[in-house]
Amino acid sequence: MPSQVPQCLKYPAVAADILRKRHSLKQELLQQSNLLSARIAILGGSTTSEIRSMLEIFLLAHGVRPEFYESGYNRYSEDVLFESPSLWCFKPDIVFIHTTWQNVLEFPELTDGEAQFEERVRREIARFESIWQKIHNDLGALIIQNNFDLPRTRPLGNLEAFQPSGRLNFLLRLNAEFANYARKHSRFLINDILYLSSRLGLDAWYGHTYWYNFHMAVTPTAAVALAQNIAGIVKSVYGKSKKCIVLDLDNTLWGGVIGDDGVHGLLLGRDHAVGEAFLDFQRYIKNLQRRGVILAVCSKNEAENAKEGFSHPDSILKVEDFSVFKANWNPKPDNIREIASELNIGLDSIVFVDDNPAERALVSNQLPEVATPEVGTDVSRFAEILEYERFFETDKIVRDDLNRADYYSANAQRSAHEAQFSNYGEFLKSLEMAAEIGSFVPIYLERITQLINKTNQFNLTTKRYTSAEVEAMSLDSEFITLYGRLTDKFGDNGLVSVLAGRIHDETVEVDLWLMSCRVLNREMELAMFDALIEQCRARGIRAIKGIYIPSKKNGMVANHYESLGFARQADSDESCQAWGYDIPESYLPKTRFISVFTKPQPVPANA
Amino acid sequence: MNRTEFLLQMDEILGLKPGTLKGDEKLDELQNWDSTSLVSLIGLAESSNSVEISPEQVVGCSTVADLLRLAGAN
Repeated sequence: MPSQVPQCLKYPAVAADILRKRHSLKQELLQQSNLLSARIAILGGSTTSEIRSMLEIFLLAHGVRPEFYESGYNRYSEDVLFESPSLWCFKPDIVFIHTTWQNVLEFPELTDGEAQFEERVRREIARFESIWQKIHNDLGALIIQNNFDLPRTRPLGNLEAFQPSGRLNFLLRLNAEFANYARKHSRFLINDILYLSSRLGLDAWYGHTYWYNFHMAVTPTAAVALAQNIAGIVKSVYGKSKKCIVLDLDNTLWGGVIGDDGVHGLLLGRDHAVGEAFLDFQRYIKNLQRRGVILAVCSKNEAENAKEGFSHPDSILKVEDFSVFKANWNPKPDNIREIASELNIGLDSIVFVDDNPAERALVSNQLPEVATPEVGTDVSRFAEILEYERFFETDKIVRDDLNRADYYSANAQRSAHEAQFSNYGEFLKSLEMAAEIGSFVPIYLERITQLINKTNQFNLTTKRYTSAEVEAMSLDSEFITLYGRLTDKFGDNGLVSVLAGRIHDETVEVDLWLMSCRVLNREMELAMFDALIEQCRARGIRAIKGIYIPSKKNGMVANHYESLGFARQADSDESCQAWGYDIPESYLPKTRFISVFTKPQPVPANA
Repeated sequence: MNRTEFLLQMDEILGLKPGTLKGDEKLDELQNWDSTSLVSLIGLAESSNSVEISPEQVVGCSTVADLLRLAGAN
């Protein structure tokens, strides 16, 4: 999110306030710079204008400026299957299909048995699949599809839950089939309105006034919640989710003050109501860490005391779960700056959680880029407040996410190791680095797409690509594509660099070159450049054109092409710089400290 | 919520300067008037004045004054 998210969009936001202020909110949010563009088609099984209005607000708050296509009422199917020219011209990046239980065409009959039930499920799913497949095949867009909410009435009473003729039973089965489809298709995401409607309650979710007057399948309040949820999904698709949670300790991860109460005086564990709430919050944090969110401590304490707190027998979190541990008496904004620097992440990738309102206010005031939710002092509310703002929403969990905490822990070991060397080259040599570099292959496409859409600092152009576009690039002989993985003696850093360029005659134009900040200053970029040269030579390419588009965050690569020996092309402007490099007859590899293993290049389909 | 307060809230819903609406305007002629504005107003009436608005009543509204009456803010 940008640094100044309007207060009324933060927890505890009131839907009516957001609806009332939507015009002024929009004007305020449009003042931000560096907004990403997104073309979103909303295909409605009911009217969708309220959802569109709210979605625009929440997306702007996440730094995404949407352009919308909106289908007519209940034309979600026809617009796709009959190829609505305006939809096809619109070329959406994302298609959101807003259907609800009212859009089910074929509910079971009272006399239906198991076989008829299954047949109706099959037909209904086939109907939706035909829409999804056409969107994927013809429009190439990512799909966000509502699953089904439940009706407020139950003609069969509790039998609805299990009888073949029960509507609730039928809807839950359709939801299971939707989920099954989502597991098998990477460009298909569920907007879970079954959860949202349960969270709000069906009476607040649906209103007769809105349905019979306006054919709104959800109330305005529900439309706000629904739009916020979709915006969270879109944010994650565009790599705008947070990466790190910085936590205070006393009365945040345990009850009491470790320096005064000692380990055994802390409230933590099942034998005390408040202690149990702290335990559950620790478990929540541990789950975030397991799926790739980086943990850091920022506490006013003596370091040894602070660490001792995690030796409490009931503590779920352990010292080694934290990638950075700052326990001292320095101002917290200073510590958080250092945490961001040590992790090589931006301040806007951080969420700070502290029970102390004065510390929150200080951080909020001095570091507005850091998200500092008003968590209050009641630990039992912390997790749901964090969830409310969808800080850590993710569109998929890839293997690299699961290993991320290991990378950052290994980084801490590297830092300690680095301190033993006065010569940086000696340090790099001692890391015993090995890189695997190859053309894009299917197994890595998800991670490549994720890296393209999340990397901001070492990113020459900050261009974003959908996974369909990345896949198309990998199959196109007019492109050179390279991924790079890096390991060292402390562990596997995973897939950390991506490079791609289109070939024009004897020149390749590189407009995608990025690298994870976790391997900065390791000369991985040189290994990638060597591999690019090797590819160029193999394909008869004599020159490389490199593009650099400055952004607020990629200043670290402003001299990247110059340092590699490129010359600035005279006709290029500041906002989109072009750099040229003629490949010499006798090129000497630049990599000094990395053993490179080049994977055999797959042959593109149209080669 | 009284008439003045309700009109000020309506100004905000429509993105107008405070004090723009006087109460005699036709809904269809209002700047920024759309379905989201209408449902926002219904929500406002229901939450602020505890007024329950039926479908027939909404359909019958054509002026700001009609809405004020419905919302119990006249």
